[in-house]
Amino acid sequence: MAAPAHFRRWRQKLQARALTLPTAVRLTIESTPSRFHLRGSWGGRIAACMKIRATSLFASVLIISGCEEKKELTVTETRPATTRDGTPKLSASSDERFRDAKPSPVRADTPAGWLALPASQFRLLNYRFGESGTGEVWVSIAQGSVLDNVNRWLEQFDAAPVDEAGLAELPSVTVAGSPGKWVTAEGDYAGGMGAPSKTGFALAGVVTSVGGQILTVKMIGPKDEVQAARPVLETFAKSLRLAE
Amino acid sequence: MEISETPPPAKAPRSIPGKIFDVLSGFGLATITLLLLGLLTWLATLEQIDNGLYPTLNKYFHWKALYLIPEINGKMVPLPLPGGYWVCAVLLLNLILGGIIRIKKGWNHVGNIISHFGIILMLAGGGVAHHFSERGNMAIVEGQSSDTAEDYFEYVVEVAEIKDGKPENIHVIRGKEINDLTRDRLRTFRLPDFPFDLQLTGYLPNTVPVSTSERAPNSGQRIADGYFLAEKPATIPPEPAEQFTAGCYARILQRDGTKSEPFILAGASFHPFTWREGDRIFTIDMHKRFWPMAFTVKLDKFTAAFHPGTMMASKFVSDITRIENGGEAKVTISMNEPMRYEGLTFFQASYGPPGAGPNQKLYSVFEVVKNPADKWPEYSLWIVAFGMLVTFMIKLVSYIASGSRKKSHV
Repeated sequence: MAAPAHFRRWRQKLQARALTLPTAVRLTIESTPSRFHLRGSWGGRIAACMKIRATSLFASVLIISGCEEKKELTVTETRPATTRDGTPKLSASSDERFRDAKPSPVRADTPAGWLALPASQFRLLNYRFGESGTGEVWVSIAQGSVLDNVNRWLEQFDAAPVDEAGLAELPSVTVAGSPGKWVTAEGDYAGGMGAPSKTGFALAGVVTSVGGQILTVKMIGPKDEVQAARPVLETFAKSLRLAE
Repeated sequence: MEISETPPPAKAPRSIPGKIFDVLSGFGLATITLLLLGLLTWLATLEQIDNGLYPTLNKYFHWKALYLIPEINGKMVPLPLPGGYWVCAVLLLNLILGGIIRIKKGWNHVGNIISHFGIILMLAGGGVAHHFSERGNMAIVEGQSSDTAEDYFEYVVEVAEIKDGKPENIHVIRGKEINDLTRDRLRTFRLPDFPFDLQLTGYLPNTVPVSTSERAPNSGQRIADGYFLAEKPATIPPEPAEQFTAGCYARILQRDGTKSEPFILAGASFHPFTWREGDRIFTIDMHKRFWPMAFTVKLDKFTAAFHPGTMMASKFVSDITRIENGGEAKVTISMNEPMRYEGLTFFQASYGPPGAGPNQKLYSVFEVVKNPADKWPEYSLWIVAFGMLVTFMIKLVSYIASGSRKKSHV
């Protein structure tokens, strides 16, 4: 079956311009003419659609061929120094760059399956755990007293606060050589910062006073994952030690 | 009796441009585009639950999205739909052609034309905001100042020379020039002002540097100075895109053709990479794009109030001092009372640190928006309301006038 005149002209132009097309595209174009000879009223419409498709395909090939990947660029954009720039730390090692390896007051062994993340201003040690990827564990130095921090955690789950007597009844776990209070809660977690609360979450953690400072180990995550990881957290908390 | 009938004059066939005009300005096209916009909005609302807000907005409404395949509950819906941006563009064209040019002119239609103009302004405002607006955030601790906002999403690579301990001549490689350098794609960035060039590759949009002593790298993984870039695990619900930390691998290309050892540039790093060339010192760093302001903002006081017994905010208020050219102005920014100044809008966005303890110093976070079409939606609503009022008044006057004519005939 002969190809329509306009398609033949188009193909001749294509060949004359010696455009190199991927094999798949060439095959599609070569096989298209037979489809233009559909008969009947619907056949005419389908054929018209096919013509549009072939034209679109050709246009796409031309556009894609124009999008050549840039191997080199000259950098011309500059900006003024700002208050954010400060004084950068020079010649920092990779450990300093990625772990902020300044003298950390605590050290611990990373449990299997946890992902150690860079420390931050408020997280001396920072981890992710659990299948959902939303489980977090971090170690911090906090302000206030043990009771203040226990009640702050409970408040984040809308749980009733405890008094000194209630605090004394909480289970005890040794952290960095000091007895700490084991705190658990579950429900909707509102971590502050105006963030929406997270439903079905749970808390497990320890608050202790070490050398006049409040040291906290906090695990937050989906309820099932926190429950499963509690023994690991306890072992982790026990492994915490103060840096020399 | 013979009745002779004169056939009605034959209508001249409509030309092809005329037919195209009829379609583009037709009520049918307006209906289709509005239905499509409703459908796209509904599907995007469902999809963002699984895929996150930012990627979904890009998928459905970015100008590069000519068409899209929706996904609900992680399953592809076999229904290709046009991109929302282009549906809005067609609706805009339709309103201009149909609602302004083709519509019957006259006093009776003045109100409709005004209302159509208001909707056109709103659609145009959306386009202007899409292409020209910038969004960032500025976090300031009580008692401190800042003159820089930080982009929410865009990671850049910056090269600077250090003089007297401070960065100078800071060159910026924008995100759009590096975020296609995934896997083995490689690009050389020429730095005519510096004695070296920079080569970047292996870009990952959400990654953390992991030490080989913490976790074994995958087979074939690049390792630089004992670290490799590990993709952060996908989370349920998805991690918001503004919390992503990008990273890539880099090398210094010296003018004599030698290459440095590869090193990692990461958004999740604390300090820049340092390069020395003779007596000159340079830093190379990756972080979210800094956006210098023309003025400084000092946070004097931050107040957060909560609904009783909850952590739900009832009120965040930041008392700030705006410092510019030696002059000072006191301004209060609260949740629904932003500060608008020099084309920028400062919204009270959030505060930190998360789970702040008693007596802990707080910081306030402002969303900084530069949007040339900031007030256009408000203006368009006023215009639409005025147009509808005019239409209503004309109808009312016509009705009263026709009523009084009827009475006068009795």
